[in-house]
Amino acid sequence: MANSQRRPAALDPVYYPVVALALILVACVDFCDAVTVVDVYRLVQYDLSGVPFGSRLATLNHHAGSSFFASSSTVDLSRTVLMLPVRELDLDLIKEYIGQGKLLGGLLLLLPPQFSPEKVETAVGGDEDFDLLRNKVSELERLLIHANIPYPVYFAFEDDNINAVLAEVKRNDASGQPATATTGGYKLVVAASDPKKIASPTITNIQGWLPGLKPDGDSSQLPTIAIVASYDTFGAAPALSVGSDSNGSGVVALLEIARLFSVLYSNPKTRGRYNLLFGLTSGGPYNFNGTQKWLRSFDQRLRESIDYAICLNSLGSLGNELHLHVSKPPENTYIQQIFQGFSSVAEESGLQVGLKHKKINISSPRVAWEHEQFSRLRVTAATISELSTAPELLEGTGSLSDNRRSVSEASIIRSVKLVAESVARHIYSQEGKGTNIFADNGSLAVNPSYVRSWLDLLSTTSRVAPFLSKSDPLIMALQKELADHTAEVNVQHETLDETFTFYDSISGKLHVYQVASVTFDLLLLLVLGSYLITLFSFLVITTRGLDDLISLFRRPPSRKVKAV
Amino acid sequence: MTVFHFFNCAILTFGPHAVYYSATPLSEYDTLWTSIKAAVVYLITALVKLVCLATFLNVSESESDNFDPYQELLKALFGFIEVAGLYFALTQLTHRNISQNHKFQAVGLGWAFADSVLHRLVPLWFGARGLEFTWDYILQGLEANANLVFSISLAALGSLMWLRKNKPKTLIPIIYACAGIVATMPTITSYLRRGLGWYLPKVVGFELFSSLLIAFISWQLFVACQRPSN
Repeated sequence: MANSQRRPAALDPVYYPVVALALILVACVDFCDAVTVVDVYRLVQYDLSGVPFGSRLATLNHHAGSSFFASSSTVDLSRTVLMLPVRELDLDLIKEYIGQGKLLGGLLLLLPPQFSPEKVETAVGGDEDFDLLRNKVSELERLLIHANIPYPVYFAFEDDNINAVLAEVKRNDASGQPATATTGGYKLVVAASDPKKIASPTITNIQGWLPGLKPDGDSSQLPTIAIVASYDTFGAAPALSVGSDSNGSGVVALLEIARLFSVLYSNPKTRGRYNLLFGLTSGGPYNFNGTQKWLRSFDQRLRESIDYAICLNSLGSLGNELHLHVSKPPENTYIQQIFQGFSSVAEESGLQVGLKHKKINISSPRVAWEHEQFSRLRVTAATISELSTAPELLEGTGSLSDNRRSVSEASIIRSVKLVAESVARHIYSQEGKGTNIFADNGSLAVNPSYVRSWLDLLSTTSRVAPFLSKSDPLIMALQKELADHTAEVNVQHETLDETFTFYDSISGKLHVYQVASVTFDLLLLLVLGSYLITLFSFLVITTRGLDDLISLFRRPPSRKVKAV
Repeated sequence: MTVFHFFNCAILTFGPHAVYYSATPLSEYDTLWTSIKAAVVYLITALVKLVCLATFLNVSESESDNFDPYQELLKALFGFIEVAGLYFALTQLTHRNISQNHKFQAVGLGWAFADSVLHRLVPLWFGARGLEFTWDYILQGLEANANLVFSISLAALGSLMWLRKNKPKTLIPIIYACAGIVATMPTITSYLRRGLGWYLPKVVGFELFSSLLIAFISWQLFVACQRPSN
């Protein structure tokens, strides 16, 4: 007896490898067996002069719900993630909810799949429903960006998986049993660490220089025309902020204009007596901070040599009206000259160009248009845009609804022609003569496939400056493209204005788990317990008899052993 | 809560073994050592079987999609390695003061327990603790119960075949047939699942039902064999 008790202990090492193997498996394997995993994009989190805005948390681990009023009005939603399809969203309700600062476990906003930057579709404008939806998304975005929301807010795109989950959650809610820890349902989990501040975000300006022809060789004596577009974006979800129109269209137009002039300037016969300066600036949504730093870095002579600057902004949507925004009085001769140039070309192509004057308020930090940064340094400049009024700070610069669907290549091509033609007429002193340098069928025609391919690229790439590294592929691509068309390319890295602070973890993976409730497990335990007890009794009765079973309960074990 | 679920599933998977040991006279006659020996034999057998399977079997690209009769036949053949292991455990592992009755139960119990630990503990540990709820682990626990009954039945039949000399001649073919069915049970369930496309609950139900049936038959056989000898 004693012998047999010692020997199992000696055998134990046999199991050590098994235990070790199990432990290694525990350590290494990260099992993921969720019902579904979807990409989610977090609402932007930023501080404006130290004041917090946006979604302040990233970690999500709560049960799913589908409406603000789950079953009773007193229900506490602070441990529920609301899954709300934007399609059916009641904006007033959510406005009220956020306005009153009520707590939620989290918010998952489901965008229709048309808003996905991945889905590049050529259908432009589209049906009325889509336009309504776009307005709704824009309004929602405005609400979310300017609110301080103390819970995680995520965006996801509707797909079959998530819709199935949503339908199930809705059914649960409708049956009057809100999903909490005791009733089961779905659990939504985004494993993310606390969002961290991005230390000194960089903004990168890219400039290309195309020198003009001067008989005695020194091109720096020549006047310069600057063509500028800001390329970065800001939107409710930084990972989705592609800004096809604002300002992807401007960037595409700038690249195409650079390409056209590089063709002209490569031949000494057609090389103009003006230098051309192309600037792709960053920090556009932040009062054109990049433009400001870029201009400051110019030396005095270059700045004074700039004849005028044309800023390209939002040129992609359908419509026959463009606006030339200026900050000098319209009576100014230079402004008149630029405006005349544009409107005469516009007339020929059936466009309308209006002149909009907006005075600069030097004491206000708000810079609504890119040309205002030039004007502040007394450089003549104008912004050409389809927008008639300037958007508010952080708005209209790459919102969720601003994607490939809302932009037409034809409009961009038309705008490219307008700008290139008027600049070329100015360079070659052809004003009012009706020459058509960039005629459609000529060798200098705008290349629609070039425009389309760049537009497609920009429409699938989010470009929020703080989340772009210095050597981001997009920046490298823009730099390389500009280098192909100009003689000299410079890249300038600057730090973003300190009033803006950004936080990371802009996207993540949402795991949806179907979970059982605690009550279910309790019931299961009861069932299992009774099963084992029944089994025990059955085995005792069949092998030893009923009396033995009864005796087990009657006599204390010590006396039982003696009896046996 | 999920650890709770793991706990439940573990009870379902391993509880019956413990109950069987403590409720039957096995615990009174100190047969634990026999069970442990049987478990070790099982581990070695499983290893040999694994090596054989890995050597001779093709790795199917599309797992659990279709039922390949040739492959399954091979698998069933290798299944008899287990029977050989059981033969070894029953005949070669001599232990004094243990009756034949208790010996086969102890061997069957150790066999089933080792099988459960080897095949079910690790998936259970990873799966049942996750947030996601599935019925799989509960079904797997039920399967372990069926497997316990099968193992003990097979051990009983084996002890009838190899240890009992004076058994009625008419019963011998039935004993062998039953043992054959039990030994090929993994192939049968595999056929049901892949060949006929049964879902797991149905398969487990079938296993539970057939295990009870087999247990009843082997009990009857055992009793029938015991009668003339006594």
